[in-house]
Amino acid sequence: MRKKTFAITAIALLGLVVPASAGAKTLIGSGSVAMQPVLQALFAQYTKLTHGKVKFVYTANGGNAGVKDVQNGASQFAGQARTPLPSDAGTTYIKMFLDGLCIDVNPKNKLANISVQQVHDIYRGLITNWGDIPGSGLTTTIDPVGRDTNGGTYNFFLQAVLNNELPSSNVNALTSDGLVANAVKQDPNAIGYDGLAWQGKGQKALKLNGVPCTASKISVEPLKYPLSRYLFLVVPNAGVSPTLQKFIDWARTSPEAAPTILKAGGVPAFNKKAKR
Amino acid sequence: MEAGYLPEYGPRVSDQRAERMLGALVCAVVVLLLALIATVFVRAWPSFAHNGLAWFGAGGNVDEQINLIYLSGLGSEPDVYTFHAWQLLWSTFLITGGAVLLALFSSLFVSVFLVEFAPQWMSDVLQPVVRFLASVPSVIYGLLGVLVIVPFIGNHLVTEPQKASVAGVISLSGYSLLAAVLILTVMIAPLMTSIFSDGLRSVRPGWLEGSLALGVNRWRTTWKIAVRTARPAIVAGTVLAVARAIGEAVMLAMVSGSVAFAPNPADGLIFVFEPSRPLAPTIVKNIDLLGSKPANSTLFAIAAVLLLSAATFSLAGWAARRSMSKYGATA
Repeated sequence: MRKKTFAITAIALLGLVVPASAGAKTLIGSGSVAMQPVLQALFAQYTKLTHGKVKFVYTANGGNAGVKDVQNGASQFAGQARTPLPSDAGTTYIKMFLDGLCIDVNPKNKLANISVQQVHDIYRGLITNWGDIPGSGLTTTIDPVGRDTNGGTYNFFLQAVLNNELPSSNVNALTSDGLVANAVKQDPNAIGYDGLAWQGKGQKALKLNGVPCTASKISVEPLKYPLSRYLFLVVPNAGVSPTLQKFIDWARTSPEAAPTILKAGGVPAFNKKAKR
Repeated sequence: MEAGYLPEYGPRVSDQRAERMLGALVCAVVVLLLALIATVFVRAWPSFAHNGLAWFGAGGNVDEQINLIYLSGLGSEPDVYTFHAWQLLWSTFLITGGAVLLALFSSLFVSVFLVEFAPQWMSDVLQPVVRFLASVPSVIYGLLGVLVIVPFIGNHLVTEPQKASVAGVISLSGYSLLAAVLILTVMIAPLMTSIFSDGLRSVRPGWLEGSLALGVNRWRTTWKIAVRTARPAIVAGTVLAVARAIGEAVMLAMVSGSVAFAPNPADGLIFVFEPSRPLAPTIVKNIDLLGSKPANSTLFAIAAVLLLSAATFSLAGWAARRSMSKYGATA
């Protein structure tokens, strides 16, 4: 009995020790939840690319907490979805890739284009009927859905569309982007907002001020799509380890990182085109 | 235990060791519990202190108040604590009350049938099913609600004139009192049924047989003897169900609707289609605001009210059970 226990423990220990002893470096990061899916995909690809020599640990504790972690040295880098503030002293923001919020309606809705002002009015409770929005082919009451106060999507929408005014009480605030997509899919009268990763699954993305919500439009400088933003990696001014710098350069500019970013819901901004 | 059975040299050292270990564990649990209660109340205190009894009253929009509280904690201005939780309390009361009432009736009849009337094979099959249903995680019921019940109510039961009549104030899109009460009932009814059945089964067979032998019919015997004797179990099951219903957060956050709105019975039929948000989901939906000190205190105040009401219910249940237990069967 005891021998067996020993053997199992030894094997388990071996499993823990062997990969770590092969000269692997671990990069520790924390921060933005909105950035997490893309970062995790990039991490996985990079670890594979380096044959396990570089590993990542990322805690999605929110962008502001992540920057604090970088300031006090607990993290080597942080994900951040907002632009720098004075309180971020001692850190450098690096633009990594872009993110866009699409405005979605149910496929039964004939609407193709909407203005930011109209979206604002809908979410502030000033327009409540599809009849007041020309082109929808509906005369029913609008069911606006959005996110609750948790997470970057809500904050981004609040800043970019609602000018930091609270959404009206007829906006149903759901707990995740997936639930928003689901609500729009199931309700012909609904309108909702979520990221690129959620598009094309039973909901229809509208053109916003005439610009379609597609990856190719979001990444064109100057940012023509009204709801696009950069996502940043925040590093300490004091210096970045060569391993981290290499990863950042790879994720930002290499052609092979681009499809990974796209697939995980982001939009590559600086990645070079793959050579054919 | 009778004194004569104890050996004269006292318990062995190993026995004492076990006793002390278990005793220490129990003490640790009690200390942890007290620490938990103390933490919650200490954190909640500023919110209660600033609002007094008005905390429980009506006035203004809770969501706007939470936003102001949150923002005041970020800047250098003095903290704002103004918070009137009436909409949340009323919603909690309606949803919990409705579900417990519905579940009480249905579970009582189901358990009477299971114990007294169902053929053996049927109760052999149904008993484990009920126990399994009682342990299904609430998020699964939430998914079921979001994918099936909410769209059904929104697309088929609510009519366009009803929606237009409240346009701009609330959306009648299926996230409603009705959805919340229905799903919560399904969630707590198995728990109640399984406790009720245990209570009914522990009624002394002699009492039932005596009644039957006197010529009282089966239904009346069940109702007057079995159900009456099992009342402590019924109270216990109801109290447990109330506690679970009050504390339910994830499922309600998914289906009850997300605005702090007090559904008004005077609105007529659309009352049941109106969205609202009870206390527990309010914490879930605003968890990101914990970083702001006054918002933190406000959320802990909500937690304190939940804790207190759960404690009150279990105390009330204990008192009711004690006065009834003279009838025999216990939970």
